[in-house]
Amino acid sequence: MDHRRISFLLAVIWTIVAVLPLFFGGTNFIMHILIMCLIWSVVASCWDLIMGFAGIFSFGQVAFFVMGSYASAIISAQFGIPPIFAVFIAGGITAGIGILVGLPCLKLKGAYIALVTFAVHMILEPVLKGEIGRAIGTGGTRGLLTIEPMTIFGYTFSTASPVPYFYLMLLVAVICSVIILVVIKSHWGTAFLALKDSQEFAACLGVSAFKYKLMVFALTSFLTGMMGGFYAHYVGMLSTRMLGIDLFVTLMVILVIGGVGKFPGAIIGAFITIAINELLSPLGPYRPITMGAMVVILVLVLPDGIVGLFERLFSKKPHDITH
Amino acid sequence: MVIEIADVIISGLINGSVYALMAVGLTLIYGVSKAFNFAYGSFYSLGGYIAFLLFGLSFINNYFLVFLLAAPILLVFGFFVEKVLVAPLRKRDDWEIKVMMITLGLALFLDNSFQVIFGSRMKSLPPFLEGGFEGGNFYLSHQDVGIFFLSIGGILLFRWFLNNTRTGMSVRAVAQNPAGAQIVGIPKEFVFAATFAISTVMVGMGGILLAQKYFITPMGGWDILVKAWVITAFGGMGSIRGGLYAAFIVGMLEAFVGWYFGMTWTLIVLFAVLLTTLAVRPQGLLGKWG
Repeated sequence: MDHRRISFLLAVIWTIVAVLPLFFGGTNFIMHILIMCLIWSVVASCWDLIMGFAGIFSFGQVAFFVMGSYASAIISAQFGIPPIFAVFIAGGITAGIGILVGLPCLKLKGAYIALVTFAVHMILEPVLKGEIGRAIGTGGTRGLLTIEPMTIFGYTFSTASPVPYFYLMLLVAVICSVIILVVIKSHWGTAFLALKDSQEFAACLGVSAFKYKLMVFALTSFLTGMMGGFYAHYVGMLSTRMLGIDLFVTLMVILVIGGVGKFPGAIIGAFITIAINELLSPLGPYRPITMGAMVVILVLVLPDGIVGLFERLFSKKPHDITH
Repeated sequence: MVIEIADVIISGLINGSVYALMAVGLTLIYGVSKAFNFAYGSFYSLGGYIAFLLFGLSFINNYFLVFLLAAPILLVFGFFVEKVLVAPLRKRDDWEIKVMMITLGLALFLDNSFQVIFGSRMKSLPPFLEGGFEGGNFYLSHQDVGIFFLSIGGILLFRWFLNNTRTGMSVRAVAQNPAGAQIVGIPKEFVFAATFAISTVMVGMGGILLAQKYFITPMGGWDILVKAWVITAFGGMGSIRGGLYAAFIVGMLEAFVGWYFGMTWTLIVLFAVLLTTLAVRPQGLLGKWG
């Protein structure tokens, strides 16, 4: 897709989302779900950027999210920094860790990168629960139960009236999506395409794989960590349960539904997936089974996601973004 | 002290041997078809649960029968998973990531099915040999010795299969050069499915062996997946010998770290060792790029 069509799609999506509180503003439950949709749409878009566009099989997205949320909560609690700044500091910390994880990954290929990043995810839980975690104030197995709510200019957002926080998150999500769009359509995006097609040839033409890949690690982990911070100050409590496989797969479903490497797709996917997830909740223990089966079936029948499906229906040259 | 250290070494050797069996299976799929199987850990639990179910049948009372019945079930299961889920994705450009996604979905499906069918309580299998060797404070159970020799035997059997049977040789041919293998008439698609099936049997057998010592839980496979994965990357993906060495190194490392620092540190230390190795040798101990 060209940038005009993506911008148009983004404008349509965000306009529709922006008017939703007119209908659901009175129901806190639905507003809560919508806020989650906004948060996950940014996280999934970041994952799409690193995996779909940059072609790096990073599986550490949830880990970065959890790191950001813990970092923001701890910073605001221990140093008395207002949450709105703590969120960005947490993003910075996560970006630093992202670069640290990214550095060894740049020498590696495909499945090895998946291993290293997924290993970060797997060891985060023992670290947060263990002695190291307790030393920096993660609360160990109990988690963090009282996290300062978000405050801007003396106004405190509360979970009791979620509409203001919804608009704050919408603003953040719009800014993040614009950043991602700019990255995709700038020379970064072109560099990624070149690197994905042939790393050797791109390197010969002077495209630095090292620089671009490290930058995308830093950017996506910054945005993801920041969203983690916003999440922490919204829900007010954290535990390592987020690191379970459930959330990880939910994010993956978002990407599968939206389409990998089909940028605004991840945002659409987030809204559809979270809605399905909530609709399936009466199924109880059968919900994760259904989600798992859904991933399997969707990957087979809808390999390019919803956006890919529409591209095939409405465009004469399909896959113009990946080829 | 000496006896304690001997115990630690023995436990490292035994775990290492089972890890080797499972890591060889994982490295085999990657080496032959470049596909990465996220559901590998779930296949481990599947092996354990199949054995548990088989023991529920009245006419089954020994492990020989269990292995004899579980192996074909796992083989057919693995073959169909490859044919139905992985093979259709292969013609796509981005099939690597799609395979990771679909196997992750399968893992979620299987794990939660286990949870619903068997409940989240731990299931145990009867020990497959009773008694042990004793000498003062030293004790070595027959079960551990049996597990060790069965795993090593499994790997040797697999080696014999690769070197001496027609299917095994075609597996090696496809691993070396898929296009060339196809030109000389080796059915590539069948070999892919066959390797997937064999690796499923290997990890399932590992599940049956380890379930006697560590119980079966619905989510227990994830730990195994990460370990098998660490071992394959450490030894070099696609290198069976590298995987073998790495499995014993990891088994030993785990036993010593767990004994000295406590079990929570094992994953962290494993990961640190892996990262250091990959930073120096990105292809792993004995791996090759390609």
